Amino acid sequence: MDAALKSLSVMLDPSHFLMLILGVLVGLSIGILPGLGGIVGMSILLPIIYGMDPHAAFALLIGMVAVIPTSDTFPSVMMGIPGSSASQATIMDGYPLAKKGEAARALGAAFTCSLIGGLFGAAVLSVIIPIARPIVLAFGSPELFMLALLGLSMVGVLSGKRPIKGVLAAGIGLMIGALGDAPAVPEYRYTFGIDYLMDGIPLVIVGLGLFAFPEIVDLLIKGKAISEVATLGKGWLDGVKDALRHKLIILRCSIIGVIVGFLPGLGGSVVDWIAYGHVIQTTRDRENFGKGDIRGVIAPESANNAKEGGGLIPTLLFGIPGSGSMAVFLGGLLILGIQPGPAMVTENVDLLYTAIWSLALANVFGAGLCIFLSKPIARLTVIPFTYLAPFMILIITLASYQASRGWGDLIALLVMGILGWVMKQYGWPRPAALIGYVLSDNIETYLFISVQRYGLAWIARRGVIILALIIIASLAMGVFWQRKKAPRLGGDHAK
Amino acid sequence: MQKKWILVGIAFFLISSLGLVPLAQGVDFSGETIKWIIPFGVGGGSDVWARLYAPFFQKYLPGKPTVAVQNMPGGGSITGGNYFHTRVKADGLTAFGSSGSTSFPYLLGASQVKYDFAKYHIVFASPTGGVAYIKPEFGVKSAKDLKGFKEKLAYASQGATSLDIIPLLSFEMLGLDVKAVFGYKGRGPGRVAFEQGETNIDYQTTTAFTKNVRPLIDQGLAVPLMTWGILDDKGNVVRDPVEPEFPCFPEAYEMVYGKKPSGSAWKAWKAFFVAGFGVQKAMWLPEKTSPEIVEAYRTAAAKIVADPEFQKMVKKSLGGYPQLVGQEARQAFNEVLSVPPESKQWVLKWLKERFDVTVK
Repeated sequence: MDAALKSLSVMLDPSHFLMLILGVLVGLSIGILPGLGGIVGMSILLPIIYGMDPHAAFALLIGMVAVIPTSDTFPSVMMGIPGSSASQATIMDGYPLAKKGEAARALGAAFTCSLIGGLFGAAVLSVIIPIARPIVLAFGSPELFMLALLGLSMVGVLSGKRPIKGVLAAGIGLMIGALGDAPAVPEYRYTFGIDYLMDGIPLVIVGLGLFAFPEIVDLLIKGKAISEVATLGKGWLDGVKDALRHKLIILRCSIIGVIVGFLPGLGGSVVDWIAYGHVIQTTRDRENFGKGDIRGVIAPESANNAKEGGGLIPTLLFGIPGSGSMAVFLGGLLILGIQPGPAMVTENVDLLYTAIWSLALANVFGAGLCIFLSKPIARLTVIPFTYLAPFMILIITLASYQASRGWGDLIALLVMGILGWVMKQYGWPRPAALIGYVLSDNIETYLFISVQRYGLAWIARRGVIILALIIIASLAMGVFWQRKKAPRLGGDHAK
Repeated sequence: MQKKWILVGIAFFLISSLGLVPLAQGVDFSGETIKWIIPFGVGGGSDVWARLYAPFFQKYLPGKPTVAVQNMPGGGSITGGNYFHTRVKADGLTAFGSSGSTSFPYLLGASQVKYDFAKYHIVFASPTGGVAYIKPEFGVKSAKDLKGFKEKLAYASQGATSLDIIPLLSFEMLGLDVKAVFGYKGRGPGRVAFEQGETNIDYQTTTAFTKNVRPLIDQGLAVPLMTWGILDDKGNVVRDPVEPEFPCFPEAYEMVYGKKPSGSAWKAWKAFFVAGFGVQKAMWLPEKTSPEIVEAYRTAAAKIVADPEFQKMVKKSLGGYPQLVGQEARQAFNEVLSVPPESKQWVLKWLKERFDVTVK
C-alpha cells in the first residue's frame, strides 16, 4: 500500500504527469485513425523514450496503449470502420445506431464502458500480480489450443440464422490465415513465388478490407449521409445512462477482457468478438442485435479496455507479450534497461505501481476527453457521404500501407475489400471470417505443439476436458436460446 | 567583351570547384539523415540493439547526422537483406543491421537469399551468449552428470533452421536424447514451457538467464548445465565472461567424452555458433562504399565503444559482452564466410535426417 501511494505521488509530479497526458493524446489520435493500433503507437513513441526516466517512460507508453481502445470507437460507430482491431465487434451494433441518428448515445455508452472496463483492468492488475504466476503456468499449449477453439465456437452465435454460412466463412478466414510462413515448420504456403505473401496477409488489411471497404462502396452507391435521419437523436447522456443500466454486462465483459488479455498467446484481437458473442449467448431477447442494440456496444467496449490491464501481466512477469503492442512495449522495457521477469515483483515494485496508476489515470482522461468530443464528432454522420468518402478512402489506404509499406499492401486491401463486399452482398457473416483468420495461427501452432509433445494424451488433460465442457455448454446455450426464441438475428449488420 | 570575360571567369570558377570535390578527403554528413535498415519489426532484439546504438552514431559520425532506424520486417529478415543488396546506394547514407537469423539462411543456401555478406563492409559486430539448463528431477547436478545420461528430454524450439541449430546440435553431440518440439514463438515462450513442465531442457540468452532463470535455480526448479561459450581473439571457443562459473560447450563435451570435440560435427557447430552467437548482430555498408566512408563509420564505432556512457548501457541492456569493431569484426565474421562447403553439407544432411527438414 505504501509503495502504491508513493507511486501515485511520483505520477502526479508535473513532468511525469505531462508524459501521461502526452501518451493519452497520442493514443487517442492513433485510436481514431482506422487501422492504426497499439503497434504503430508504440513504434512512434519508442525512439523518444531512449534515456528517459523509467517512470516517465511507463506513463507515456502505458498512457498511450490504455486509451487506444477508447477512441477507436469513433470510426467503428460513426462509419462502420474498425478504429483498431479491438473495436471490430463494436461496429455490429454501434454503426446501426449511428444510422438511426443515435451516434452520440452509442458513443456515450461506449466511453462509459471503456472507462469502467479500463479501471477494472487496472484494479485486477494490482490485485492479481502476486498470484498471477501459477495461473499463467496452468495454461500449457493444449489448454491454449482449447481456448482458441472456444473463441472459434463464437462463430455460431455471431452468424445467427445462417450457421452453415458462418462455419464456411470461418473456414475461409482460417484459410486466409494459413497463407505465408507455416508456424512450426520452415515452409511457406500459397506464396506463388510472391515475396509479399511470405508473411501472410496482415491483420490490419483483413480488417479494413472486410469491414471498411464494403461500407464505403455501399454508402457511395446510396449517395446519402451515414445517418438515415437528418437530426441526431438521443444524446451522450442517454448513452451513459444505458451503460449504467447494464452494470452486469459491463462487469462480465470486463472479466472476459482481463482473462483474454492475461492469457499469453490468445491475442487481443478476438476479445471484442468473444465479449460480443458472450452477451448474445446470455441474452433472451436477441432480436435487435445487429440492428442497433446498445448492449452490443457495451459488451465489446468494456472488454477491450479491460484487456490492457490483463495484457501487462504476462508481459511484465514473464517477458512474453500477450499482443502485438505488448511485444513492442517489451522492446521498450529493454531500451530502458529493464529485463521483465519474476524479479519485477520484488525489485521493481514501484514501476509496477506506476504501470497500474498510468493505466487507471489514462483511462479516466481518455474517456473524459472522448465524451467531451463525442457531440461535435457525432455531427459527421449527417454530412453527405460523397464529401467524406475521398477522405476515408485515403485513410484506409494509408493505414493499409503502414502494414508492410509495399505495393502488396494496397493490392491485398483491394482483394480483401472485394471479398468483403461480395460476402456482404450475399449475406455471408464477415465476423466469422475475421475470427477464423485471427485464430488460425493459434489453433494450428498449439495443436501442432500438443500433438508433437504429448501424442494423443493431450486430450485427457484436466484443463482440456474442462475447456471442452465449456465449449459444449456455450454451443448448447446458443442453440437452446435460438430454438426458444427463433430470432431473426442477422449475423451481418447491413442486411 | 567584358561579358565574355565574366563567362570565362564563371566557367573557370565552376571547373575549379568541381575539381575540389574529390580532393575533399573529410567525410561530412552534416544535415544528412542516415537510414539504418533493420530487417525485423519494432521492439525485437535487433531493433532494440540498433536503437541503443543509433544515438551514439549520431554523436560520433562526422557532421553529426540524424541516424534513423528503419524497420523492414518480412520473410524472417530475408526481405530486408535482399532490399539492402539490390536497392541501396553506396553513399554512406544507408546501413544494414544483420542478425543470426539473417546469417543462417545465407549459410544454408536458402534460395530466397540474394544478399552476400562477403561483398559488404562490416562496421562493428555484437556477440551474445546462451546458457542451457535442465529440470532437477533427473538428478543431474552439472554438465559432468550428462555422461551416459539416457533419459528422454523435450526442448521447445522455434524451428530446426533457426538459431536453435546450436542448442539442438549441442544436445546431440553430447549424446542426449532430446525431442525438439517445434512451433514456439521465441525463447520467452520456450522458458514458460519449461516452467510448465511442457519441456524439460532449455536455453536462454545470458541476459534473460540472469533475470528469469536465476530465480528458478535458487528455488531448485532448474539446474544450469553449460554456456555455449564465446569466441576469443584467436578464434577459440572459451568460457563466457558473463557467466564464468559454468563450463562452455567444448568443456562440457570434454567432461562427457574425455577429449576435445573434433570432426565434421564440431566444424559445423563452430561455424553456426559464430554466425548465431559469436557475431550475432552486425552493421554493414554496401559493396561499393568508398573506403573513406567505411573508415568514418569504423572510427565512429570505435569511439562509441570507448564512450563510458555507452559502456554502462552495454552492461545494462546488451549483456555486457565486448563489442567487436572494424578489423576485429571482419576477422570474426570471416569465420562465418569461410565455412567449408562440407560443413554446410553436413548440417543440411543432419537437418534432413534428424528433423526431415529440407532448406529450399
